[in-house]
Amino acid sequence: MTTYEFLTTTWRWSFLLLLFCALALVGYFLAFRRRGRLAYLGGALAVFLFALISPVSALADGYLFSAHMVQHILLVLIVPAFLLLSLPRSFSLPRPFTALTHPLIGWMAGVGAMWLWHVPALCNAATTSSAISVIQTTSLLLMGSAFWWQVLAPRDAQRLSPAAGIAYLFTACTACSVLGIILTFAPVSICPVYQQPVDRLGILSSIRGQWGLTSERDQQIGGLLMWVPMCLIYLTAILAQLARWHSGPHPEKSNA
Amino acid sequence: MNGTTTAPASPATLLDPAEHWHHRLAWLSTVDHKRIGVLYLLTGLFFFVVGGLEALVLRVQLAVPKNHFLQPDTFNQLFTMHGTTMIFLVVIPVGLGFVNYFLPLQIGARDMAFPRLNAFGFWLIPFGGILLHFSVLAGGAPAVGWFSYAPLSETPYSSTLGVDYWAVALFVLGIGSVATAINIIATVICRRAPGMTMRRLPLFTWINFVNAFMIILALPVLNAGLAMLLIDRQLEGHFFLPFHGGSAVLWQHIFWAFGHPEVYIMVFPAFGIVSEVIPVFSRKPIFGYAFVAASSVAIAVLSMGVWGHHMFTVGMGRAANSFFAISSLLIAIPTGVKVLNWTATMIGGRLRFDVPMLFCIAFLIQFLLAGITGISHAVVPLDWQTKNSYFLVAHFHFVAVGAIVFAFFAAVYFWFPKMSGRMLSERLGKWTFWLMVIGFNMTFIIQHFLGLLGMPRRVFTYPNLPHWGWMNMLSTVGVLFMAAAALFLVWNLAVSFFRGKIAGDNPWNAWTLEWATTSPPPHENFHALPPIRSRRPLWDIANPDRPDPVVGENTSEIESPDKTKTGILTFIVSEAAFFAILLLAYLYFYARPQPGPGPRELDVPRTLVFSLCLFASSFTLWRSEIALGRQRRGSMLGWLVLTITLGGVFLVGQGMEYWKLFQTGVDVSTNLFATSFFTLTGFHGLHVFLGLVALLIFLWLAWRGDFAPGRSSAFEAAGYYWHFVDIVWVFVLLTVYILPLAR
Repeated sequence: MTTYEFLTTTWRWSFLLLLFCALALVGYFLAFRRRGRLAYLGGALAVFLFALISPVSALADGYLFSAHMVQHILLVLIVPAFLLLSLPRSFSLPRPFTALTHPLIGWMAGVGAMWLWHVPALCNAATTSSAISVIQTTSLLLMGSAFWWQVLAPRDAQRLSPAAGIAYLFTACTACSVLGIILTFAPVSICPVYQQPVDRLGILSSIRGQWGLTSERDQQIGGLLMWVPMCLIYLTAILAQLARWHSGPHPEKSNA
Repeated sequence: MNGTTTAPASPATLLDPAEHWHHRLAWLSTVDHKRIGVLYLLTGLFFFVVGGLEALVLRVQLAVPKNHFLQPDTFNQLFTMHGTTMIFLVVIPVGLGFVNYFLPLQIGARDMAFPRLNAFGFWLIPFGGILLHFSVLAGGAPAVGWFSYAPLSETPYSSTLGVDYWAVALFVLGIGSVATAINIIATVICRRAPGMTMRRLPLFTWINFVNAFMIILALPVLNAGLAMLLIDRQLEGHFFLPFHGGSAVLWQHIFWAFGHPEVYIMVFPAFGIVSEVIPVFSRKPIFGYAFVAASSVAIAVLSMGVWGHHMFTVGMGRAANSFFAISSLLIAIPTGVKVLNWTATMIGGRLRFDVPMLFCIAFLIQFLLAGITGISHAVVPLDWQTKNSYFLVAHFHFVAVGAIVFAFFAAVYFWFPKMSGRMLSERLGKWTFWLMVIGFNMTFIIQHFLGLLGMPRRVFTYPNLPHWGWMNMLSTVGVLFMAAAALFLVWNLAVSFFRGKIAGDNPWNAWTLEWATTSPPPHENFHALPPIRSRRPLWDIANPDRPDPVVGENTSEIESPDKTKTGILTFIVSEAAFFAILLLAYLYFYARPQPGPGPRELDVPRTLVFSLCLFASSFTLWRSEIALGRQRRGSMLGWLVLTITLGGVFLVGQGMEYWKLFQTGVDVSTNLFATSFFTLTGFHGLHVFLGLVALLIFLWLAWRGDFAPGRSSAFEAAGYYWHFVDIVWVFVLLTVYILPLAR
């Protein structure tokens, strides 16, 4: 299979996923009517679908660790962020969930989502078993949401103060960078499934030859993705915190 | 506050001779931030002359082809000392000196948060400087470059003690910088005057506040690497020695993981200075305060993740190169934002071309060039061609001299009146400026072309190839101009200190708080502070009809947390960085097992038992704190004794582990597992021991009944540290003992 064929034919249109998204859209309308911020929800669903049906998903399914990492980052950082942004200001968490809004839990969820699913056994299992894969996807979305809640909750009062938010994001960035560094420099495969892929799509020769992605280089790219671009996402959030801080209360001129 | 000048009362008229002698001697024992700041600056100036003379000798050697003025080894020693001196004994101390003097003044504080820690941080600098230079007497200065690449820096290739002194000196200097950075953070957080909210901080203060975070995160990385290097050299460890399975590239990773943030650590004080001087001499507030402030944070965060661009030529692989290229290009954005802010501040302003401003304008132009050649080094193919040539030498001297030294000169001319009460001579200042501009550009612009013509760096001489001769000669002649400029500066300082024009409180009509007090400021800094509602309190006083808009909420209330806790938390962050490097190094070698003993030799069940003791001690210490809070002295002492016992038991357990390993012939030099195991657990054990010493001191104090109500914060702070040491052990236990079980 050539690269062009691969990019055009491996979209995995899943009826269930599309149904899920449609239901989410309908549910959103019923819950928030016109108070919601639809563009953000659209973004969340688009990224969600892209992560799970595009060729990235086909590659993540046993071929490339780096593609898995792209999927992972999209699901844990991008989709939940858009989801939280789409909530109207009036939104409040139902009672039982408010316990999850402690900053420590949010931090552990965000960092844990990175570390936990890269324990070799779990990483392997999520790639080989579709049931565990579903659990993984769900857990990533939930943990990502718990993480971002501290920063992107609908109302200002529910969020961390800018200074605390910066510390929260910076430490999370560091914790994930450490994992990225370990993945980048590990001489052994963290997720051994990707070492000897089962070539269901007949694309392996292109990947190894034309794209030049040996399994070592593949894992290195995966680690670097977690290390560098992911930190840029956190950095963007840090800058947003600074912007929020500097655009804080402006008193009337007459007070001066 | 009315701008009239009273000459500072001379101590000679007030004190009898014995007191006068003591007053002068007090410079040695001072804990006053202003005096310490001056000491920093004088130390920096002294080593600037030393490092400059070294540079002069190096350039004389390079003036003509095939020169034999210096022996190759002497050249290497001089260029190592030049780099190390300029970075660790000039740029860092001078930056910290200005911060020490002016940061407390700018925020209306009486002193730094921890005056004695401040003195400690300073005195480590001469101590480190002496250690470094003592190597000359102990068999020869280091000759391995300021980067000290392994394996050249290892015993088989550098057998004299030079590298050891180098490493110990840098270790000491690193501790000093971290101590001062902790002090800066605690001062800004806990010692601001009423009304000086974080959003109203002058940019010099803000930028150096951010810088302090870089220092506490980056310097421990170097110190971890230096500790490993010393263990290699002194205890025959194997970290960076390839033929025992060690990794020379790991040294480069550790060094540049420190080294790149270090570049920004050096340049941030310069950014701060320029952000103060340009607005004052443009008679306009800074353009886009929030952008300058936020871009500093962006640079600080990015700087931690771009070190790979120092290693493109090492062979990290195409994947790593690409990522580091992108992140290195990105860092140009916040830096560019700053340059735009400074330029835009000047546009439409009423520019005054006094000497400080002249240096800042030269800074802008030269820093722009440094940035452009800097970006070229983020482009991997170009970097491959130019990295090991004089092009790179030119680039980093454009940063180090063209930007940093020029900004420091600006700061000297800007703030000398405040420090001494007298103006520096403008006429001599202009001589310094023009000699500096001509000399600097003559020396370093041509080096770009030398590099592009292929002249490699770090060579002691070169063949007579077309153009190389006259280009090098031009470069050397430029150094003479710079040396003359330095002479003019020293002359100006000396003459103006005694005979300069009296400055008055605010000679430049500046707006930040350091200009609201006398020149020099009294011991307690301020008799009374003006109201602070904006970033330019002195503007508001001078222009009551059109004050700056109030920044943030119109309040003079500020939060000031407990300084001891803030300090210890900051210290913990820097310790965490240190242990993170040791842990990562352990993992690095764990994943590449060598023949010989491995984790299987370790007694996991016994260690788990002793670990439980350590974890229990966190609980007992917590109980002790509660007892202290409830004023139950007996209970507090009991829990504290139990804590110390449990900690001691843990150390005994570690001792047993070590003893068993020694019995079976395993020590630091056995193989890489042993080297990394003993280093990691040894440093942890050392921290437990120091924690125990601290707790014993507290036990003694509590025994004497020293803990009055409201004095428990120090005890809580010590508790934080103890808990931190326990948490480190969780990670060590998981990595060293539990991880191998999963295999």
